[in-house]
Amino acid sequence: MAEERHTRTHSGSTALKLLLILFLGGLLCAEGYFGYRLHLLSDQQKQIKRDYADINDIEYGLFSVENWRDNVTHIVDHQVRNFTMTPEQKKELQLEIQEIIVALANKAEAMINKPQTSAGGKIKQFAAQKFVNIDKIKAQAPDFARTIMAKVDNPANKNKLSNMALTKFGDIQKSGYIDSTIRTSDSISTALFTKYKVSSHEELNNKLMSFLGPIRTDTYNYCIAMLCCVVVVLLSWWVLRKRVDLHTVLFVLSLLFAFILLAVGLTASMIEVDARIQSFDFVLLGEHVVFKNQVLFFQSKSILDVVRVLIKQHAADSIGVGILILVFSILFPIMKLSSTGIHLLSKRRLAENKVIKYFAFQSGKWSMADVIVIAILMTYIGLNGLLEGQLQTMNIPSAGLSIITTNNTALQPGYIIFICFVLYGLILSTILKFITPYDAH
Amino acid sequence: MITEQHIPPTRKFGLPNILLILGLSVLLFGEAWYGYHLQALSEQREQIKRDYSTINSITFGLFSVDQWRDKISDIINGQVDDFSVTPEQKAALQKQVELQLNGLINKELADINKPQKSLVGKIKKLAVDKFVDEDQVHAQVPTFAKTIVDKVSSPRGTQRIKNIVSSKVNELAAQTYDSTSSAANAVAAYMYHKYNVADSGQFRKEIHNRLVTIKASSYNDLYLMLGCVLAALLLWLLMRNMAHLHATHFFMSLLFALVLLVVGVTSSIIEVDAQLQSFDFTLVGQNVSFVDQDLFFQSKSIIEIIQKLVREPKPDTIIVGVLMFLFVIILPVVRIIAKGIHIMGNKALAENKAVLYLAFDSAKWDMADVMVVGALMTYIGLNGILRSELSEIEFHTNGLNTTTANFTRLQPGYFIFVAYVVFAIILAAILNRIRPRDARL
Repeated sequence: MAEERHTRTHSGSTALKLLLILFLGGLLCAEGYFGYRLHLLSDQQKQIKRDYADINDIEYGLFSVENWRDNVTHIVDHQVRNFTMTPEQKKELQLEIQEIIVALANKAEAMINKPQTSAGGKIKQFAAQKFVNIDKIKAQAPDFARTIMAKVDNPANKNKLSNMALTKFGDIQKSGYIDSTIRTSDSISTALFTKYKVSSHEELNNKLMSFLGPIRTDTYNYCIAMLCCVVVVLLSWWVLRKRVDLHTVLFVLSLLFAFILLAVGLTASMIEVDARIQSFDFVLLGEHVVFKNQVLFFQSKSILDVVRVLIKQHAADSIGVGILILVFSILFPIMKLSSTGIHLLSKRRLAENKVIKYFAFQSGKWSMADVIVIAILMTYIGLNGLLEGQLQTMNIPSAGLSIITTNNTALQPGYIIFICFVLYGLILSTILKFITPYDAH
Repeated sequence: MITEQHIPPTRKFGLPNILLILGLSVLLFGEAWYGYHLQALSEQREQIKRDYSTINSITFGLFSVDQWRDKISDIINGQVDDFSVTPEQKAALQKQVELQLNGLINKELADINKPQKSLVGKIKKLAVDKFVDEDQVHAQVPTFAKTIVDKVSSPRGTQRIKNIVSSKVNELAAQTYDSTSSAANAVAAYMYHKYNVADSGQFRKEIHNRLVTIKASSYNDLYLMLGCVLAALLLWLLMRNMAHLHATHFFMSLLFALVLLVVGVTSSIIEVDAQLQSFDFTLVGQNVSFVDQDLFFQSKSIIEIIQKLVREPKPDTIIVGVLMFLFVIILPVVRIIAKGIHIMGNKALAENKAVLYLAFDSAKWDMADVMVVGALMTYIGLNGILRSELSEIEFHTNGLNTTTANFTRLQPGYFIFVAYVVFAIILAAILNRIRPRDARL
């Protein structure tokens, strides 16, 4: 009878084991799917933000010849048409012209009065002295000057001048350099316009922004769904804490969950850095010029990307940091997960190997180093409202100032998933300590 | 043996104990005082550097249209003032005037030589035909042209034209502005008042002096603090055989650790300061330069980093902040308290499961050491990123010269925190040694 009961419990245990495997297997698939979706969404978001950053890049705004051309055309036209001289300037100029006329008259008089030798010359001199009254001309000099001034200052002439300036400007535009910059910016914007089926810059911005909202909620939903899966796994540990016979299976399955978390955490983007000039607002020769939301710098990086960037640098210290991040975020976790598996499943000698034990029980917290690095980086470069904050405390309005802000820098789901992986790993090693048949210290 | 030597301190509290407490209290007081001083200095330094960074912000310099306007209009006015007609220019001008005059004469004569209908016209034509020799008139053009050119390029003439041009330039400059200069003036007024200085030269000097003093005395404090801790450690070496004093000594050492932790967490750990020291280029032969432009400044203590993360509106950032707070600050403090209870409390309390777990087994959750590594990685990484970004805007060509400087440094707070971690590791080793053997695992 005792034997029968034993077999029954045994078969019951096998059935339960199978059930557990099926249940957790299903959950694992769900988590894998959520992770995959999260990864895709993260890529999609990165792409959209990249496009947004491209179209709003400072190269195509504040530094764009095309934008300036429009502004400057206006200004040139305006300035030339409204070219006026103040009364003082007019007076000065008039005086100058007047003096030139007087000087010319004097010169003419001197030439006329020069002694002539030939008869013809003498007659001419006589006629000139008779008919031409130099003093009268001199007296009329102010009038002449005024007439000349009026001619210069009249609207028709200004119009002619303005047209001339604008044609000159058109000629500059046709020169190679300006053309090529305009062409590149044009080709980028038309490519983006056709990609998103829009026709204007503003429309594109609105469309991109409208994409981002749903993507963000979806990403967070998948993120939360993944976390729920992990919580269910931990709950099943609590439920089955007395069923020692199931622990090994449960633990191996838990490790698989951890691997999925790690894979998603490493490859999904974890931080987004975005530096822009919010507004560049000034009056240029009487014309109001405003550039808004000029993106100076945009990057969205996963841990693997960060490692790649750091290792590609030339300085030894950056490469060192890159290698450290690689060690803490990839090598340590993989070693840790495999060590926990080895510790639980293999023979005593291997299980009590010092290295295996260290990785299985103690190494987990070092992955937190990456989390801390990103967190500190975030506070140093991400949440940078220093100048605005300072101005606020001094009650100085900062609205029209060109301030570089990085307010749109944000942590991404990859980061949260990675933190979850680290914490989950730490909890798993605590669980392992309770269920291990060997010495855990 | 050791078990027997381990005497609960509550039972016997002799003179040696009191002496030890007194001696260590003095050291502890010294450590706390220097720590307090160091922390105050660190805050002061951050404040001063932040003020300096605000007043030298790139927003009020390189990004300020007002500044550019002033510099450029100064240059143009200087050019206008220094303008004098060179002989070559004079010759060219003469040629131009001659051309114009000859054209004028040809046109006038052609008009007169046309068949005339009116009587006056006919007489005029006759007179001109009779008296005016076309070639002779043309021959006189150079003399008249010279008169005009001489007149225009005479000192009085050029002065008059200069006045007209520069008043026009000033007029145009007045039409170009943004809102930086009013804000910059307000900031400067606020800062000069705050530091009791009159102008920017004095301000610079004052800031420099203060920073030098603060740096010297904060390193002084750092060494004295570490000296106190070292003295307490040396005492362990001296008294390693006086087991009856160990409990008291250990308890006091925990207080030393606590002070280190508090100071390490509240003083700034990394200071990031990127400056564009000079930005020079030549415009029409004159130098335009912007000096000491602050691109980026941040200085933060661990607690400030956490505060900043927690105050963000985004949930993920808050979670990270809370986690860091738990693992880097709360857990170390709780562990110090648990160790204190374990060593000083009565048997029941000392052997309480929670106390034992916190005092001995929670090491893998205690991330103070991870923080040390993480902060160092961040420092190196940030330094590397800044260096490469700054080298990208470093130019040394004929036209443009920029010098950048990267003053990114680890601050005393970091070293205090490192000292805490090392001290905590040593204390853990000591505790393992002095614990009753039966409690040791």
